[in-house]
Amino acid sequence: MSGGDDILTVSALNVAYGESKALFDVNFRVGPNEIVACVGRNGAGKSTLLKCIAGFLKPASGSIMSNATSLVGIAAYAIAGMGIKYVPQDKKVFSDLTVRENLELGSYASKDYDWTQVTEYFPKLKVLMDRKAGFLSGGERQMLMIGRAILGRPKLLLVDEPTEGLAPSIVGQLREVFRDLSKGTALVIVEQNLPLVCAIANRVYALNEGRIMAELAGHESIKPENCERYL
Amino acid sequence: MNVLRWWWSLVLTFALLALLRVFVPLPFANEIMIFSIYTVGCNFLLGRVGFISFGQPAYLAVGAYAAAFYFYYFGTNPYVGILIGVVAGIGVSLAVGPLFVRLRSDYFALVNLALAVIIYYFMQKVLVDITHGDNGLWFLTNLSSTPVLDLTRPDEFFVFALLVGFVVWAFYKYLDDTIYGACCLGSKINEDKLKFLGYNNYSIRLVAFVIANTTTALAGAMYAVYLGFVSPEITSPTRAADPVIVTILGGVGTLYGPIVGAIAYTGMKDVLSKVLGNWELVIGFLLVFIMLAGEKGIWGTLEPLLLKAFRRAPAPGAAGESKVGGR
Amino acid sequence: MDIQLLTSGITFGLSLGSIFFLMTIGLSLCFGLMRVISLDQLLYYSVGGYITYSVSLLIGNLWLGVLAGMAVGGILGFAVERLVFMRIYERDITFSMITSFGILIGGVGVIKFFWGLVPRPVPVPIDSQIDILGTDIPVYRLVVVAIALLVYGGIWLFLNRTIIGKAIRAGIEDVEHVEGLGINVYRLFSITFIMAGALSGLAGGLHAPLIMVDPQMGLEVLAFAFMIVIIGGLGSIKGTLISSFLVGQVVSLGSLVYAPLAQMAPFVLMLLILLLKPTGLYGSPLLKR
Repeated sequence: MSGGDDILTVSALNVAYGESKALFDVNFRVGPNEIVACVGRNGAGKSTLLKCIAGFLKPASGSIMSNATSLVGIAAYAIAGMGIKYVPQDKKVFSDLTVRENLELGSYASKDYDWTQVTEYFPKLKVLMDRKAGFLSGGERQMLMIGRAILGRPKLLLVDEPTEGLAPSIVGQLREVFRDLSKGTALVIVEQNLPLVCAIANRVYALNEGRIMAELAGHESIKPENCERYL
Repeated sequence: MNVLRWWWSLVLTFALLALLRVFVPLPFANEIMIFSIYTVGCNFLLGRVGFISFGQPAYLAVGAYAAAFYFYYFGTNPYVGILIGVVAGIGVSLAVGPLFVRLRSDYFALVNLALAVIIYYFMQKVLVDITHGDNGLWFLTNLSSTPVLDLTRPDEFFVFALLVGFVVWAFYKYLDDTIYGACCLGSKINEDKLKFLGYNNYSIRLVAFVIANTTTALAGAMYAVYLGFVSPEITSPTRAADPVIVTILGGVGTLYGPIVGAIAYTGMKDVLSKVLGNWELVIGFLLVFIMLAGEKGIWGTLEPLLLKAFRRAPAPGAAGESKVGGR
Repeated sequence: MDIQLLTSGITFGLSLGSIFFLMTIGLSLCFGLMRVISLDQLLYYSVGGYITYSVSLLIGNLWLGVLAGMAVGGILGFAVERLVFMRIYERDITFSMITSFGILIGGVGVIKFFWGLVPRPVPVPIDSQIDILGTDIPVYRLVVVAIALLVYGGIWLFLNRTIIGKAIRAGIEDVEHVEGLGINVYRLFSITFIMAGALSGLAGGLHAPLIMVDPQMGLEVLAFAFMIVIIGGLGSIKGTLISSFLVGQVVSLGSLVYAPLAQMAPFVLMLLILLLKPTGLYGSPLLKR
């Protein structure tokens, strides 16, 4: 576990929902411009880990550091303000607001009013600008959620199951977006889609029952058959 | 052995309540007894099913008016009057329950209040020919004396109220111990889980609703007999929250909370309104304080302390307590 | 029914509905965004009435009094939010209902302490009457309606045209996602509370000349406030507007038909609507965010 220049360093993290523990002594790090994937079965604690980093859950013990600043006990909005953005799994956009208004909120929060990168990544959103977000398809919603989150050029993006239930063409589009994003942003992606994971991840953590079972790094070891063991 | 352990706290409580008779004026003691019974239903709904009811006065009025109509127009026997009040309580809660218990808990609170207001205006205006509106129905002289436990005499009424209270509390204690009590708590904490276990939320709630409100109607009928007069004032919207306040004061979901709360509330109301003339101030902020301090209430805070003290005290002497608890 | 009676009945209902709207909009907004039931709004309503009474007694101008009432309502709302609600946002709805009821009761005690028990009359600022369809209608009542409509327009603009308003609308849908974007939701909560308190104060101030200010005035309208938010659906601004005017008309026209109906009819209406739609006309189906 090295590094003051790590975007994120999680050490000995324990999280519990009431009586039942969800994470046990998790150690986890993300370097600059890295794409780190997190694989594991349902209920392994992947989403819990992301929520905890994003500040929506309080850890029972352990530390979460970002560039030598502790994130534990900081409100979720302040963590997002530090450039650590979380894209939850539920594909919930503000359905009563238009696409434009959804993006405006992202801009307001990050003080970044330049949408060129968003519309470059997702040209489709340009057409949909004045539509209520409630009428978008699942893929469009995911684009909007990611678009909204990358405003302000976050230093770390936490994405929970981005491709779940989406058409292959959109998955491909997202893959390119993630690749391109990683030029300036570190990513943590929780994903079940192993081909995607293996195509883009620099490192993979395998989680099972709240524990990190393995850490794979390098192209030789990040292969679907190596990951599958932990699923 | 277990039987004794089961009963001793009940017996002790009501023995202490009987002592009230010696220390406080009789009307005050009677008021406390009726108020406790009035509140126990609200306490059950809030503490066991998670329903807060701002409309308990509705059912109080149902019981009171049912008894009042009987005394004013038909008969004289106070026991029959109380029985009629209880039956009316069951009737009304069965009539509105199926609609009410389906609602979300916030709507439930509001709808009950609405029912209280409807009954208020019914009694005050709509049925003015038979209720005499705000003047109320006076029937103290209509009540006939009975040979045993003459309810027209306040001191014997107190004995009766004490007995009724004992039965009511034994019943609620029993409910808590049964699987039904567990289901109620379950429906408060996690509806879905309970559904998966094969229990029907709807009927659990309906039964709880009927039980609680029938108890309240019983208190209403007792009010009628005790005061010998009923007016729409008992269901006035401005008093709608009394039972909720008493429940919180006493401690939500605790068995003896309503009694402690009723004593504290009637006591405070009496003393403070004489000294300050402004008891709402204290009650209101006390309520906020209790909620922020962890919503345990007076009894909820005292009970664990008392239990601890009891356990520790007899240990060296090994006298009274171990006998009661152990045998 | 003759036309004169009907016209005056309808205007009466409209002005009553306006007061109801201003009084309950705060309750509804607070539920929508924070998922709390803020019965203390009715305290700000009473306080608004009393401040209006005192200020107009002192300087003889009711409108300044109403403004002062609004200001005090907003400040009180902010203070209570910081002192009490901040600690209970995580708890369930019944919790906030009981706690805010405690604030309401305690506040009634404070009002009694400062202003005494006796109801006080507040002079009507505009005495003139206007002729509509051969009926003399007090201008003040029409002014009240106009103010309520202005407020509704203002709220609509605020929610749809300003970024804070959009954030509040988004928060009504899902507050966690708003926070996840990096918006300080607690500031949104405070803004909402200040707004709600000020509007409740405004309602009290405007209502004062039509009734007498009385320490119990907040408790007396409690049942109506409940009813309106239930009919409209908790959390919906449009629903609150519609149900306020609906209830206003039902009360007003009902009393023309048969006096006791005035207070009863809205409750029957509410029960009927709940039978058909358990979350009210525009209510959200969510229990908890």
